[in-house]
Amino acid sequence: MKLVKLLSLAILIIAAGCGPRKPVLHIYTWADYVDPDLVAAFEAANSCRVSIDTFDSNEAMYAKLKAGGAEYDLVLPSSYQIALLRSQQMIQPFDQSLLPNVNQNVDSDYIRFASDPTLEYAIPYAMTFTGIAYRTDKLDPIDASWSVFTNSALRGKCTLLADMRETIGAALKANGYDINSTDPAEIETAAATVIEWKRNIAKFENEQYKTGLASGEFILTHGYNCDVLQVQEDCPDIDFVLPQEGFSFTFDEFVIPVAAPNPLLAHAFIDFMYQANSAAANIAYICSLMPVKTAYPLLDEELRNSPVIFISPAELDTHGQVIQEVGEALPLYTRAWDKIKATK
Amino acid sequence: MKRSLLPIVILIIVLVFLYLPIVVLSLNSFNASRFSGTWDGFTLKWYSTLMQDRTIWQALVNSLIIATFATIGSCIIGTTAALALNRWQTRLQTLHNALIYTPLVVPEILMGMSLLLLFTALKIDCGRHTILLAHITFCVSFVAMTVLARLQDFDTSLIEAGRDLGATAFQAFIKIQLPLLMPGIIAGGLLAFTLSVDDFVITFFVSGPGSTTLPLRVYSMIKHSRQMPVINALSTLLLAVTFLAVIASRLLQIKRVSRSHPFISTTIGGTNK
Repeated sequence: MKLVKLLSLAILIIAAGCGPRKPVLHIYTWADYVDPDLVAAFEAANSCRVSIDTFDSNEAMYAKLKAGGAEYDLVLPSSYQIALLRSQQMIQPFDQSLLPNVNQNVDSDYIRFASDPTLEYAIPYAMTFTGIAYRTDKLDPIDASWSVFTNSALRGKCTLLADMRETIGAALKANGYDINSTDPAEIETAAATVIEWKRNIAKFENEQYKTGLASGEFILTHGYNCDVLQVQEDCPDIDFVLPQEGFSFTFDEFVIPVAAPNPLLAHAFIDFMYQANSAAANIAYICSLMPVKTAYPLLDEELRNSPVIFISPAELDTHGQVIQEVGEALPLYTRAWDKIKATK
Repeated sequence: MKRSLLPIVILIIVLVFLYLPIVVLSLNSFNASRFSGTWDGFTLKWYSTLMQDRTIWQALVNSLIIATFATIGSCIIGTTAALALNRWQTRLQTLHNALIYTPLVVPEILMGMSLLLLFTALKIDCGRHTILLAHITFCVSFVAMTVLARLQDFDTSLIEAGRDLGATAFQAFIKIQLPLLMPGIIAGGLLAFTLSVDDFVITFFVSGPGSTTLPLRVYSMIKHSRQMPVINALSTLLLAVTFLAVIASRLLQIKRVSRSHPFISTTIGGTNK
């Protein structure tokens, strides 16, 4: 009996391994970060198989790539990681002749904010930014300002992100400093601001704020635009504002590692995602803006006019800033963050 | 004398503590709201999303394949290791014992790191096979320990009796010792299977393209996913399968015990031939 079972299992495994050998494109990305219907369409069009592995942070992804032994064809890190990948010579330049859709459809208003505006080593995939979301049914319209976190009417009913760089960054902006400041005094001031906010907020929260916002436990939260859009689908009484002192944004970008076994398919995939109709479907799926200008007219009216997805380049110019690696100043941030966490 | 209510109260508290989170998770898998805080009515949409989500199924298949083979591999190696440890008491076996014990106490992160370094030094590309090797490495210890515990109160006179009655050493092993050790091996194997399906840290280090296992997938979804309730649905399904398996094995055991003791009958049948 047991032998029969083992044998049939072995046959199953072998059968799974055989069959016509299709080329495989290995993508390393965030969970649920590409519309699965598009992946299926790409597979059919290129008679290949797409295998998606997922990471939960840029650091985990970097460690995996750096350690070796794992050869991916296409990776989607955030902007700030790309300089590092490039300086370590871990990514290869694109062959522009294989990317006609990218060159035609890319929205030049946005790519200048990406890590590589020449699109030589990195091509932007999607943009996310942080701001303040609040329940319009429980709160009168608020000033678009970080100072809202000191509003005593919100005591215990608002949250800040539990992310060192995002939250200290918000405080740096609130004080009128650079989001990537390396000045100890500025970071000190920002830490004091966060501590002041901390006395008023319910907690620092990266995940559960979505649940809290939907249930009304929190009426105002610091959050990512794509998360807020997700909550809005369930609970329409939510408004999202960008603090006028400044906010952070970032791109996740396509890169091809040097050791990619199948760079041709990787190029084909990028180009496929830059087709107007696939980009439009994908924007609706991931709730983030892809800088593909020909896709915008194909979007639903609601998405097209959503301030949670679209943010004007002028706004990015005046108020937005990308969080970058701060190198040797990082300990200043970790120390400030420890102090914030330790203060009652 | 009136019996104290305390034990029953404690029992209820413990049961609630253990099972309430599971109940909440199962209920939420039917919640129309994406967010667990509010109940928006009954739905099966998360189950249908789950059915269509290829990457989650691929991760589950990866996990099950790896766990099955890790169990088989570690049962074979672990049992032979236990037999050797039990039979000889030389200095070499003391070292062997220490080697078997080490993976139980070495921090997982260290083991994952060192295995990855080994694989990259040997220029082995990471994938399902490296995860399998890593899982066998740490599962062997658990199987060896459980089998060894069973061997320690093993009555060797049974084997001697078998040999007296004409069984070869091999027959005696296959027909007497192995069936008697089977509960230990199965217990060790179940432990190995569970550990393999569960493992995150070591798997994280030695995984490669196309080998994302369920724990890796779930972890990446927690931080970045629009489909979190899908995880609730999957967990509920896994729980249902586990409970059914436990109930089925219980029923089978009751049937078997009511007939006769299986091991005695096989050994007698074997030696009579």
